[in-house]
Amino acid sequence: MTAGRVAEAKPGARGVAATAGLAFLSMAAPKVDRALVLRVAKLACLSLSDIEADHLAGDLARIVGYVEQLDLLDTRDVAPTAHVQLERAPWREDEPTPGLSHDDALAQAPRTERDGFAVPAFVE
Amino acid sequence: MHQGVTEVAASVQRGETTAEASTEAALARIAQFNPRLNALLYVARDRALDQARAVDAKRARGEQPGRLAGVPIAIKDAICTRGMPSTAGSKILAGYVPPYDATVIERLRAADAIIIGKANMDEFAMGSSNENSAFGAAKNPWDLTRTPGGSSGGSAASVAARLTPCALGSDTGGSIRQPAALTGTVGIKPTYGRVPRYGLIAFASSLDQIGPMATDVRGAARVLSVIAGRDPRDSTSLDAPVDDFEAACGRSIKGLRIGVPDEYFAEGLDGEVGASVRAAIGELEKEGCVVVPVRLPHTRFAVATYYVLANAEASSNLARFDGVRYGLRVDEPGGDLRTMYGATRDAGFGPEVKRRILLGTFVLSAGYFDAYYLKAQKLRTLVRRDFEDAFRDVDIVCSPTSPTPAFRLGERVDDPLAMYLSDVYTLPASLAGIPAISVPCAPTAAGLPVGLQLMAPALHETTMLRVAAAWEARAPARGALPEMLAG
Repeated sequence: MTAGRVAEAKPGARGVAATAGLAFLSMAAPKVDRALVLRVAKLACLSLSDIEADHLAGDLARIVGYVEQLDLLDTRDVAPTAHVQLERAPWREDEPTPGLSHDDALAQAPRTERDGFAVPAFVE
Repeated sequence: MHQGVTEVAASVQRGETTAEASTEAALARIAQFNPRLNALLYVARDRALDQARAVDAKRARGEQPGRLAGVPIAIKDAICTRGMPSTAGSKILAGYVPPYDATVIERLRAADAIIIGKANMDEFAMGSSNENSAFGAAKNPWDLTRTPGGSSGGSAASVAARLTPCALGSDTGGSIRQPAALTGTVGIKPTYGRVPRYGLIAFASSLDQIGPMATDVRGAARVLSVIAGRDPRDSTSLDAPVDDFEAACGRSIKGLRIGVPDEYFAEGLDGEVGASVRAAIGELEKEGCVVVPVRLPHTRFAVATYYVLANAEASSNLARFDGVRYGLRVDEPGGDLRTMYGATRDAGFGPEVKRRILLGTFVLSAGYFDAYYLKAQKLRTLVRRDFEDAFRDVDIVCSPTSPTPAFRLGERVDDPLAMYLSDVYTLPASLAGIPAISVPCAPTAAGLPVGLQLMAPALHETTMLRVAAAWEARAPARGALPEMLAG
């Protein structure tokens, strides 16, 4: 099986662009390089070494390239599905129920201090 | 020897054996085979025996033991078990012991099942071969050089090697069905919302679903009937009545319309797998089913759609692993909060998890959201419509579960995309939220298991189970055991 762009769509199927190579992507495909990976990694709170970032850039470029086959479809008139939930769940009664005890909640914390979670300084 | 779920429960209920004896037998099999399989990451020996003795005491008092009386069950390590480690296969949760039970665990305990231990899995359920586990891959009992599939590979290996007659897995894009297919076991992904997710460590919340794996269809149906049903702690759990899943097994399938989609028998399908599945469909036709060709034209876009949506959700769900409340923490001298977050997550997550967090963060980031995430959500609509159209003409859609039999460990680790493509037949049902089951059909010439996948409309598990049980009754793979169990 090959990675990368699908050259043509199967004609006839509903919603599938019949014209080979017709793209509906709203912008040019991004260049996935080390700089982009490091920018995204910062958003995701991941510290990556340069070697890791280079390796991941290669993987991501291939995966993003594969994902771009979705451009072949004209979906202008299709509503997005965020969730397949079949019905609206009934509301829960607004009654207090016991939650985790303070001790249970803190029991797995790597660092605690003065009966709370301890974190490094975050205010200058 | 090697009794299924319903046989074990019946023997314990009738007093022909005790829950303690059944638990001891499972522990003995685990001691004998698990070192070679790495199926279970944790064995709850003492707790399991205590629980078993409590079931026996209940019976001795004249009370009726539950529907899973004395049935040992392995639990995928993504499901929280009070007082037992729950790592989700990740170094970032090594040693984590949840302070509460998932809803499904409460229900299993209430039905007198014996929680025997925690099953190996790909880290955070991200993988199709178990090789992304931080604790080493589980092995396929049919061939120890091959994968048991993933991500619920440890659960599948445990059932295939008869360490336990059943297990719980979780399925986001095929993680119950594909390992079931690769190990010759039965695996059910229920309708989205059938089984509460409270206590399941989240991967992609709009897709994740807990389900049973078992040695036979009726056993899987029994476990499903215990864990299904509304839970106020999961706002996506459905209020639909829990059908009698077990009674559906054994009902006639005459006149049922079976849809066969061309798109699932296309390029990339192993010849032997295709032949085995077509032979099974032929047998169903002999049983009185009507075989109807159907079209699911957006199948080819399911892999791309899934990897955008699932990883977007994952990037958000996995933000909670930050070294503050539980799990690993890496502090650097003089480092601030962000430095601690970054160092902890870099040290705690494996390469595949990082890859997926990055992809997910990327498709949600400013400037790319519409092009990737919104586009994929629209594709999800088209995949759902494919099934809605097909189910106007048929009761069940039938396909292979996996395009190939179990592949060799190491074969696809360096090619994430090839690994993703191995889920091509299981992803569409996940995106559509419909139930699906994998049930064994004729093995390959080399003796590797093959899975037949049956997909049904939402909440129609009973139709799916009817067909699965009817097929199983005449399946050539019935009762076959891996060679390692003989030696």
